[in-house]
Amino acid sequence: MSNQAKTRTVEEINAKIRKGDAQILTAEEMKKLVDSSGVEVAFREVDVVTTGTFGAMCSSGAVVNVGHSDPPIKIDNAWMNNVPVCHPGAAVDLFIGATNMSEKIPFEYGGGHVIEDLVAGNEIELRATAYGTDCYPRTSIKTTLTKDDLNQFCLINFRNGYQRYNCAVNGSEEIIYTYMSKLLPRLRNATYSGAGELNPLMNDPDYETMGMGTRIFLGGAQGYIIGEGTQHSPKNLSGTLMVKGDAKKMSPEFLQGAAFTGYGTSLYVGLGVPIPILNEGLARKTAIRDSEIMTDIVDYSVPRRDRPKLGQVSYAELKSGSININGKKIRVSSLSSLKMAKKVSQTLKEWIDEGSFFLSSPVERLPTNSTFKPMRQTEEIPFVVSVMHPAITCTENEEIQAIAKRIVTNSVNHIVVVDDAGKLLGIVTSWDVTRAMAEGKKALADIETRSVVTAKPEEPLEIASKRMAQHNISALPVINIERKVLGIVTTEDVAKLLGR
Amino acid sequence: MGRILIRFNEEQVSEPIASQIIIEHKVPMAILTAHINSKGGEILAEVPDDQLQKVVDAFRKRGVAVMVPKLIEVDSEKCFSCGSCVALCPVEAITLAPDSTVQFDKVRCMGSACGICVDACPARAIKSVKQNGVDLIRLKKS
Repeated sequence: MSNQAKTRTVEEINAKIRKGDAQILTAEEMKKLVDSSGVEVAFREVDVVTTGTFGAMCSSGAVVNVGHSDPPIKIDNAWMNNVPVCHPGAAVDLFIGATNMSEKIPFEYGGGHVIEDLVAGNEIELRATAYGTDCYPRTSIKTTLTKDDLNQFCLINFRNGYQRYNCAVNGSEEIIYTYMSKLLPRLRNATYSGAGELNPLMNDPDYETMGMGTRIFLGGAQGYIIGEGTQHSPKNLSGTLMVKGDAKKMSPEFLQGAAFTGYGTSLYVGLGVPIPILNEGLARKTAIRDSEIMTDIVDYSVPRRDRPKLGQVSYAELKSGSININGKKIRVSSLSSLKMAKKVSQTLKEWIDEGSFFLSSPVERLPTNSTFKPMRQTEEIPFVVSVMHPAITCTENEEIQAIAKRIVTNSVNHIVVVDDAGKLLGIVTSWDVTRAMAEGKKALADIETRSVVTAKPEEPLEIASKRMAQHNISALPVINIERKVLGIVTTEDVAKLLGR
Repeated sequence: MGRILIRFNEEQVSEPIASQIIIEHKVPMAILTAHINSKGGEILAEVPDDQLQKVVDAFRKRGVAVMVPKLIEVDSEKCFSCGSCVALCPVEAITLAPDSTVQFDKVRCMGSACGICVDACPARAIKSVKQNGVDLIRLKKS
């Protein structure tokens, strides 16, 4: 290509790869080159930029064809290493979903591990049952299989490679276990996922080079993009990929089963896309830095679809190991492996360098304008905010007499103790006051409960109601993340709603 | 080397129990940390693996509480360096190397007294293990 040309084609790049003349850089190297020499030089010198990511991708799985038994069986239910596998098609086609869990050791072993075991060449046990038909008379089977016994072993992941993802924290009082891993209470840690500036979609955010038919690195072998992934949300910089590849050729290093305590199992997938630098614009786009990629900090303790956002951070901050939320320093961990992401982009670079991997143009590019809709729900469920009412409060220096009076005047059973800023300090019930009278106690401090079980306004009422039953109490002060009292919800409120 | 946590009560603290055991059994003992005053105290020590059981028995025979803390072990074959354990570790025994490899410092690690990382590992590469099969049961202070 002449130095003056403003574009180059995939065919031209493939011709150079064939001759061993192509210039391939990893995304990491490309950013350094653009920094030092500028976009123009980078475009002139670089033909392909290799990207990579390695993270837990739950919407992954594999289609396997196990061959026909004698007599034949039309499988109805099947298990591989005690993990239920789906039977979405004809007699002996099965789908191993990454998040399906073992019936013997759930949460520890699942479909992701079955895929990893098969890829590694390990023997797995297949059990299946059937109702029996004239053409498929057999009703049960048990055998062992390796990947060599399978006719097809095709990895089909319907959502991979999220362009960027949330940073997760927990604003509640208790540890929570999520698909974003273990989150300590009161924002004591944070987790994030994604490779940031190495992510395939982030390096080609207008999807100029990606779509159906783009050849990629998938699980240590060649694979293909087959379209947009589910929940593809390009307008929100959250594109996803649907991909497939021959799992028989893949490597267990780049496809690893995973277990998230309290959530379930998944599959870590190594995925890399080569980006042909067709124009100067792509040279500029592949120079994107972590500091330019922002994501939301989300409180996962709120059990809602739209969880509260506590701010924004860049991937540069996330990768630094700590972030700031309202001036508080919080240590942050990655869930996806940056080390492996780099290895993916490096391996892909080597494949192209040695002429064993050629680029392909998509026959249809990924959509750039689709949006991701929430579920249409035909039944509404009540939330704490819809039944809570103002709390009757007192301060810590008030006398029991005054509190007793307030209980009677307002005909309530609970008085919430707050500080000058309205933040929760404790709770006093009519029973506490009665007991104080009986025992001759005068000070609020003697009867006040300081460790208070609380609710959040956006919680489903059912969860708050269960919490009251669990602790054998009849009311929960409703507080926000700063522990400011917003109201109170009682068992009476729940009963009234149910009786309606 | 195996680690032991030796806990002395008020009566025991004035006696030279540790030195007696060292001399009697001819066992080298490396003291890692010691917090002792007239009311009692704790010593964290290391002894050779093959003499661990003997030392533990000797202390317990004298009525001294000995704990063999469980250790945290990381299976580097299984670990794929996601790093989800890093921010959880309270003593920074788990860190990310410049090349993004997860590094584990066994000496800094508090062992099973903490164990916060174990169930946060998606690769299940972190395990809480017994030392040399020695029992964890601590003798009650008399």
